[in-house]
Parts: sequence; structure tokens; C-alpha cells
Amino acid sequence: MTQAPPRPTSTAPVKLVGQSVPRKEDLALLTGTARFIDDVKLPGMLYAKILRSPVAHARVRSIDTSRARQMPGVVDVLCGADLVGRVKPWGDLMQDLLVGDHTPFAVDKVLYEGQELAAVVAETKYQALDALEAIEIDLEELPALVDPEAAMAPGAGLIQEGITYEFGDGNIFDRYRVRIGDADAAAEEADVVVRQRFTTNRQAGAALDPHGCVADYDTFTRELTIWSSTQSIYMVRDVLADVLQIPRNKVRVRIPEVGAGFGSKAQIFPYEVIASIFSMRLGRPVHLVLGRKEIFQSGTARNGQVRYAELMCRRDGTITGYRDYVVHNCGAFSVWGNQVLHIGTNVGMLPYAIPNIRIDGDIVHTNTAPGGALRGFGIPQTIWAKEQLVDMAAAELGMDPLELRAKNVIRPETFPFTTPMGQIIDSTSMYDCLHTSAEAIGWAEKKAHPVPYEGVGLAVSMKYTSCRHPSFDTDLSAVRLRLETDGTVTIYSSDVTHGQSHATMLAQIVADGLGVGFEKITLAAPDSVTSPFGLGTYASRGAAVLGTACRLATERLRERVLTIAAHVLEANVEDLDIGNDRVYIKGLPDSGLYLEILASFAAYRTHQLPPGFEPTLEVVATYDTPTEREGADGSGNLSVTYSAAAHSAHVRVDPETGYVRVVDYAMAHDTGVVINPLVVEGQHQGGFLMGLGMVLGEDYLYDADGHLTNASFATYLAPTATDMPELTKIYEIPAPSLTIPGGQKGAGESGTGPVPAAVGNAVFDATGVRFTELPITPQKMLLALREKERQGAVTFRFPDDMPDFTGPRTKAEWPEPDLTDAVDFDWDDLPGFDDEDDEDDVDGGPAL
Amino acid sequence: MKAFTYLRPGDGAEAVALLREHGPDARVIAGGQSLLLALKDRSARPPVLVSLRGVPELAGVRVEGDELVVGATTTYAQLTRAELPGWQATIAAVAGDLADRPVRTMGTIGGGLCAADPRYDVLTLVTGVGARLEVLSSAGRRVLTPAEFFAPGGGTRLEPGDVLTAIRFPGTAAWDGVVFEKFRTRVFDAALASVLCAVRLDPDGALAALQLTVGAAVPVPVVAVQTGSALVGTSAAAVDVDAVARDVVTEVLPGRGDTPALQYARELVSALTRRALVRALAHPRS
Ligand SMILES: Cc1cc2nc3c(=O)[nH]c(=O)nc-3n(C[C@H](O)[C@H](O)[C@H](O)COP(=O)(O)OP(=O)(O)OC[C@H]3O[C@@H](n4cnc5c(N)ncnc54)[C@H](O)[C@@H]3O)c2cc1C
Repeated sequence: MTQAPPRPTSTAPVKLVGQSVPRKEDLALLTGTARFIDDVKLPGMLYAKILRSPVAHARVRSIDTSRARQMPGVVDVLCGADLVGRVKPWGDLMQDLLVGDHTPFAVDKVLYEGQELAAVVAETKYQALDALEAIEIDLEELPALVDPEAAMAPGAGLIQEGITYEFGDGNIFDRYRVRIGDADAAAEEADVVVRQRFTTNRQAGAALDPHGCVADYDTFTRELTIWSSTQSIYMVRDVLADVLQIPRNKVRVRIPEVGAGFGSKAQIFPYEVIASIFSMRLGRPVHLVLGRKEIFQSGTARNGQVRYAELMCRRDGTITGYRDYVVHNCGAFSVWGNQVLHIGTNVGMLPYAIPNIRIDGDIVHTNTAPGGALRGFGIPQTIWAKEQLVDMAAAELGMDPLELRAKNVIRPETFPFTTPMGQIIDSTSMYDCLHTSAEAIGWAEKKAHPVPYEGVGLAVSMKYTSCRHPSFDTDLSAVRLRLETDGTVTIYSSDVTHGQSHATMLAQIVADGLGVGFEKITLAAPDSVTSPFGLGTYASRGAAVLGTACRLATERLRERVLTIAAHVLEANVEDLDIGNDRVYIKGLPDSGLYLEILASFAAYRTHQLPPGFEPTLEVVATYDTPTEREGADGSGNLSVTYSAAAHSAHVRVDPETGYVRVVDYAMAHDTGVVINPLVVEGQHQGGFLMGLGMVLGEDYLYDADGHLTNASFATYLAPTATDMPELTKIYEIPAPSLTIPGGQKGAGESGTGPVPAAVGNAVFDATGVRFTELPITPQKMLLALREKERQGAVTFRFPDDMPDFTGPRTKAEWPEPDLTDAVDFDWDDLPGFDDEDDEDDVDGGPAL
Repeated sequence: MKAFTYLRPGDGAEAVALLREHGPDARVIAGGQSLLLALKDRSARPPVLVSLRGVPELAGVRVEGDELVVGATTTYAQLTRAELPGWQATIAAVAGDLADRPVRTMGTIGGGLCAADPRYDVLTLVTGVGARLEVLSSAGRRVLTPAEFFAPGGGTRLEPGDVLTAIRFPGTAAWDGVVFEKFRTRVFDAALASVLCAVRLDPDGALAALQLTVGAAVPVPVVAVQTGSALVGTSAAAVDVDAVARDVVTEVLPGRGDTPALQYARELVSALTRRALVRALAHPRS
């Protein structure tokens, strides 16, 4: 008798969460086969182009499109006057306004250069461009308000004229207040108070894939399908349906490959409305993709700020208070702009538990590009001011900046820990991150042996992981999961992956939970007809919020699979395990029933199912974070968990050219449980690059008339690969979130927040020049060095100490915030308000 | 972009004839690296493009007598690979350290000169070493100095129908050393300021000729003639680099800084002059 060969010993299935699984997304991107918005081609498709305002502020006298209509290939032309009363303005929800302030085209007034004036749709894009040149516009130019403080000055012209704001007339459309403890008393009692006026720049999203859409209206079903390069399909769907006054189930939003957004695609834009209206009027698909100049002008840019900031300390270094008056520049329009100030400031107080905080913010319109979400969402701006103040305080106290930070960063004995601001810190390794990062840069060594024109700088921040926006009360994502009858799994989600690797990250979670092979799992493209409702991809929410929804869905599906298997195998569920694409008796992973058999029972052989078992293996799970609404005093736990970031920069300044090179950079992060280290490291590198651009080059350069003078990649100084230091010092110190079931935290924006301040502090260490404005260009650096030498100063502020600086130099000259309360609003006070007109046209569709 | 007719002459004479035939709106296209950008944003709208790509006589590097003759449509990439003797190696070095790889592969030295953006390196190069520019038109061939080729306020003095055919660089004996220095914010950006230092020494080590040329920060490259000629006869070791840099700035960008950009330009010119001089004087004959 021959002996049977020994059976191979059973191997327990390998867990994928925590491993650097190569990305599912890469193949299509690296082989150039991914299909982006400009690649979408539908039969009979027309091309639309937008005529944009050449001036920043003007009254529209007339727009004559008659000649354009006669041009070859032109099918339709629209301008603002054509749509008055036919579309509903939008932007109210996010901005907390009663009435929206966004319209597809400027009607009476142009508020910024690049605003939509008219649009043409034609058989080819070139015909559309030719016809734009035939549109005659007559604009009466008005003085442009470029500077936010000038826009607030008494007597400044009114930008948005048709809207009454809570705080009365003027260009301030919202105010922000924080009152925690008593910051005024803290200032009286403090041993050291440092203060400085800081300003920040406007930064572009600069996603390589342009903003754009293809709208396709079916005149028979009355369904509008829109392909869009967006971060959030339901934001586009719900706002678009509302603007067009058609039912939401008649708008279908679909997503091609989206080549990044960075926050700049997290809202609806006029071009999506314009393409939709054209398609509805014509019954043909309409392609409308923006050019780079248009994207710079109108694609939303980081909000600029002026901060009059003060930090209070005791002699031992304890931070006792923070006081700030912020002027927040939202540009001419801003869907998300005011939220940036709220959230960015609330979370920007971390990683310190500051007991006394007083902040007043004026949120203003200017005749500049719309402000909006951008990687970091207000954190980099707050940290730019606050973390430089920390270094200034350290100098006053004669303390090492590392020691001062170590003394103050949150490091409680027990978690969760609630800060005076109300944040509930469920876990953090901030203190360890700080030391790891400082050690990696050689902090002590470099401080002990300074080299001329070289310096090191630190900055720390915590980034929120998703957020309950003060303007609306939700923070959810959802996943629908289906075990197909061949044992593969389809994941449906509406949160658009555009660099975050959702297909990989979610598949890792599903693979571990369901025991399905990674290669058998597919993420379906977001589509509002099939994907469950979710808010979208922004705010570092993918892994934690969407990932948790996915984990919940996986658990539900697993339970259903095990229930069928227990019935078929006549076993107890507790005795079963799942892995290697099958359900097996615990300890015998090579035996068992394949998932495809169980799935086919659930669909095709329902008599095999346990009695009463509802057929098919498809589940949905939604996760809404256990976060709070913002309190009247500005406090609240707006975020489910917080990711720590401690950064150290080593810079070298060329004293002859002013060129600042970041020669070395160390980042230590707490991203909680890391699902995929490769992906997370990629996020940190990208986040760092955006921070580097913010501090050393990027800015919207406006002339006095509000013209954006650098609206191209040739002139807009975004950093490139050669400007990056070798990023070899990236550390993860995981403190798993106690709130998020899998322990993960947001990764997408931690890399950005501290960068400007860390580099700013390092530049000061290298040169004695404290930059209070961004970016630190070679020109500014060199002129600051020369002026500092000329004055014979040891330290110097740029631009505050330059001879031609006209802003306030000392606290005595600082403006005081206006403390009047919001006007109590009453509909009856509105002249001409008549509620008779308030009828809803739901199913008839608009007469476009 | 607007529609255009694309013509492909086979030699220089045909190119000139086509330009004459299609009138002043017809444009020459070489590598297209500047012109295509203008076509795309419609700031240039030529109805006819005459391409120089298929004209063999306009490309390549050859020696004629003393001179090194570089065809106008020689690409930067080709120049980079040319093994040139003596100071002429700097020509290859300049071509290899501008723009990015795709631009160097397509872009031509003639295109850079005719586009005449002062931030382009080849303007400073041809001016600084005293090259001559050969132009063909229906009226015949003419050879221009850089001062004749470039318009004083910026741009060129070429007339519609003119084709730059070659750049005639002086021979290896013209200079002992040529050093080019520039500053740009990002590696792939055009220069904010550039300085070229060309030196020739007497057998005893004294300066026989020193030509310092400033580009990018000025509308058209400027030779600091006074500063250079004042140093003739000085021993290389005795040159006061800081003083020369100050003189160059005074000569090329006179006046006090009114705008920050101008102040900065002066600082850069000064720094780059020092760097170029130090390098040129350290190893003048290498
Ligand atoms: C991203 C980028 C970065 C760059 N960086 C640098 C840099 O760092 N340094 C630098 O020096 N340059 C730089 N450049 C510019 C580059 O050098 C020029 O684009 C290039 O030299 C133009 O040459 P071309 O052959 O492509 O010319 P084209 O674009 O074909 O032509 C340019 C102009 O010259 C005319 N023309 C061309 N050839 C002739 C001819 N033989 N006779 C008459 N007229 C002619 C054309 O009609 C057109 O007006 C950069 C360009 C880009 C796009």
C-alpha cells in the first residue's frame, strides 16, 4: 500500500489591513488607459465654451449674443439675462444663507475676473471658441476691491449687492466667534504675551485633471445624466436638481476617473449648470471642460487670511491663552469659505489644550477668485500664525522651541481627553511624534552648532478626520456590498476616489472581513443611480468614515454568509470561520464551502437557504460620526478623531539670491491604524508638497484692478519634483482611534498643516527674518536680508519692518473687531416679499 | 488654436519663397515650443505655418574656417550631445541646462533666438560670445551681429519673410574661457537673470579681453562694455570681483531701485556676475 502524500499544512488566511498592498488604481493610470472627463465622448455630443469676464468688478450694461448665434456650427447661446427666473441660485446650504448667491452667469454685475458672462455650444470646440469672440459685451468697470481689509473699510463699494447679511450691509457676509475661558484676563495675568499680524496667500488646487463635465439629457425619460470631475456626486446631484427645479431622482451623476481635486472640486460649479441647461434645451450631450486659465480664475483657491494673533504664556512655558482677530478673504463667492474659518480655527488650536481662547473673525467678500476648500481646510493658515507665535514665545522665555512644545502638547494620562475647546481626543501620540521628528532632523545637534544661513524649525498640528460642518449637521458615508454569484464582491460607494486609493483600501477591509481574494473585489464607479448616499471625498474622511461604513457592511455580509453556511453545513455559526474564498470549520481552512456556492444559493437556489432567510447577499451600511455641532461659544467636538503631525524642517538660504532650499524634512504622524502604509506615505508626500508650495512659491498675484496675473502653470509657481527634498524621514507612530472601530485616522491632510510654519520657523533660525506673509519667495527673502543688514538689526520682520510697509506694525495700530450682534432676521422686514409666489413646480420640469 | 495651413518646404530658398507668397501673416515654425503655446491660447493666429523641420541644410553643427556654424533648427538636445572643443563646450552646457527634456528635444536654438524672450539663455549666449546671425530672405543672405539682430527694446528686427538660417560662433581662439550663470526659481523656469563672462588672456596672464553680458533682467542682453574694457590689462589674480559686480550693475541697471523687482534684479546680476567671474578667472583656460 502506498502512502498518500501528506496534505499541506493549513495556512491561516493572511490579513491585508496594515500591508502595503500595491494599488488597484495604478495599472490604468500608469498605462494611460484611465478615462478622465475630457475623454468622455457620447454620440451626438456638442461642445460648450464659456465667455468669462475680462474685468474684476463691473456693471453689465449689455451682452449681445446675436452675432455669435449666426456663427458656423453654433447650436445655442446663453447669457445671464436668459436665465433670470428660470434657475434657482445656490450656495445657501453650505454658507448658512437664507438665499443662495451663486448663479450660472453674472446678470447685472461682475464680481471677479473670470466670472461667467455667456456660453456657446457648437458642433466643435473650435467653433464654440470662435463664437465666443463674436459675443459683444458692454461692461461699466467699477473699482476693484482686492484686499480684504480694504473691502471692509467704511465707504468701500458693495460687492454682492442683492443680499442682506446677518451683520447688515457691507462686504462682511459672516462672522465667527470663539469664547473659551477668559482670554483677556489671561493676557493680563500672563508673564509673556507675543503678538504679530500674519497674512496668508491664495493657493490653487492645481489638480492636473481639469474641472469639467458632460451633460446628457434624455428628452423622453426626462432624466439628466451628468458626468463630472467632482469629489462629491450627491452634492452635485442635489444642488443641480434644486437649481433646475427637477426631482432628484431625475438627475444621475456619474464619475469618470478624477485626477485629483484637493478640495477644489468639492462643490457644484456654474459650468455644470450651464452644460445641463444646454443639454436640456437641445436634447443632445454637451461637453464642457475648462481650460487651465479658467480653472485658476474660477476653480476655487485657498482662502487668504489676515490674523492679528496673540499667544499668552506663563514663565514656565505653559500656554495659557490665545487671542486672534481674523479677516478671512473668501473672494467674490464662496460655497465653503466660511466653514474654512470655523473648522480650521477650532481644530487649529490643537495640539495644545489652551484654556482661554478668544477669536473674532470677519468673513469678507473681495473681487477675487472664489475661495474654498483646499487641502488642510484652514489648518495651515491657523498653524502658520500660531506655531510661529510659539517660537516667538520660546525666544522671549529663553526656552528651546522643542521644549516649549513638549511642555504643551496634549499628553493626557487617560483617553478620551476633552480640551477646553471641546475636542474629544480619543488617542494621540503627539508627544512622541514631536520628539521623533525633532530627533530625525538632528534638532539638538543643529541648535548647538549653528551654520550661517542654515536653520531648523518645528511645527505641530492636528488634522481633523472628517468633520461635522457647522453649516449642516451630518458627517456620513455609506457602502453597499454585494457578494456576486461567482464569489466576487462589488463595493458601491458614492465617495469619489481621486487619489485616495479607495479601490485598494476598501478591498483590503473587505478581503479581511469576508475572506475573499483581494483580486476578486471591485469598487464600482460612483453613480447616483446605484451608489448609496454619502457626502463625498474630502476632509481626510475616506479611511475613517467610508472605511468604517465598509467595515460595518462587511460584518453584516459576513454574518449573512455564515448563516447560510451554518444551515447548509448543519453547523453552528460559532464553529465556522471564513477565509481563502470559503467558509470552513474552524481550524480546517482547506476544507469548506466556496463563497460562490453560498452566493449562488442566495440568488439561484433559494430552497437551500435557511427558512425565512431573505435571499441575495447584498447589504448597505451607513456610518455617521459621533460628532457634535458647533456651540455658540465656538466649542465642540467637530471631528471623530484627530491625526497628529509633527514636522521639522532644515533649510538653507542662499544669501546672494534669496533662494530657500529645504534640504531635509522629517515628518512624524499619527494616522492611527494604517490600512495601507504605501498609500498613507503617498498622501504625506503629496500633502507636504502642497505645504511647500504654499510657503515657498504659490500665490494668486492680483494687480490693483483685480486681474490675476499668473493664471498659468508657467507663471504660477507650484513646486515640482526637483524642489522636493529627499523625503526619507517619514514616521508613523500609531495611536489607534478609540472611536473608529478599525482604529484608523485621516491621512490626506496631515502632511500639509505644519509645513508653512515649520519652514517659516526654520527660515527665521537661518536668517533672523520672521516672515509674517506668505509665500517666502527668493525676492522677498533677499530684500529682507538686505534691509535687515542696512538697519543693522538682529531680527527683522518681513514685510512689517520694510520701509514701504503700510500696514499696522504694532498692536496699538491693530484694528478692533466689531462686536455688534447679528441682526435679527424677519421675513416681514424684507421689502416686496410676497409669499404668494412660493409655488413648487416638481414634475413639470422647468421651461428652459 | 485656430485652423492653419501647414507647409513643409524642402530647403531654405523654398521656405523663403513660401513666406513671400503667403504674406506677412505667415509664420515660421521650428520646434513649436514657444509658438504652440501662443497658438493654443490664440494670442498668435497665423493662417499659414511654414515648418523648418524638413529642411536639412538648416540643422546641424559644422566648422567653417574659424567659425563654428550651428544651423538654426539644431535642437537643444542635439547641441547638448555635440562634442565641442575649448570654450565652445559652454554652448552645449547651456543647451543642456535649460527648460525640460521635452522642450530640449523639440526646441531649437534658432527658435529661442527668434522668440527673443530675454529670459531665454541663448540670447545671452550669442551676445556674450559675439556670435553672428545669418538671415535669409527673398532679398538674399545677410549676417548680423546680435546688436543688429535684436531690437533695443526687446524682440528681433527680423522682417516678415526672414528666416534665421545659422548662428556663427567665433572660433576656439576667440576666448580662453566662457562661463554662464543664471538664476531661476524652479529648475524648469526661464531665468530671472543671467550673466555670461567671456575671457581671453595674454600669455602673461593679464586680461586681453573680458566681456560681461547680462540677460533676462533686461529687455535684451546688454554687454557691460565699459566695465569689461576697463579691466583689460589687469592680471586675472588682481581682479576685485565685488567691485566688478558693482560696476556691472551700475552700467547695466543704472539708478536706484524703485520697484522691489528691480532691486532684486540688481542683486541677482551682482551675485551672478561674481559667480561667473570667479569661475572664469579660476580656470580661464579649461
Ligand atoms: C516649459 C518651458 C520652459 C522653458 N525654459 C527655458 C529656459 O530655461 N531657458 C531658455 O532659454 N528657454 C526656455 N524655454 C524656451 C525655449 O527655449 C523656446 O521655447 C524654444 O527655444 C523655442 O524654439 P522652437 O524651435 O520651439 O521655436 P518655435 O516655437 O517654433 O518658434 C518661436 C518663434 O520663433 C520664430 N522662428 C523659429 N525659428 C525661426 C527661424 N529659423 N527663423 C525665423 N523665425 C523663426 C517662430 O515664428 C516663432 O515666432 C522654455 C520653454 C518652455 C515651453
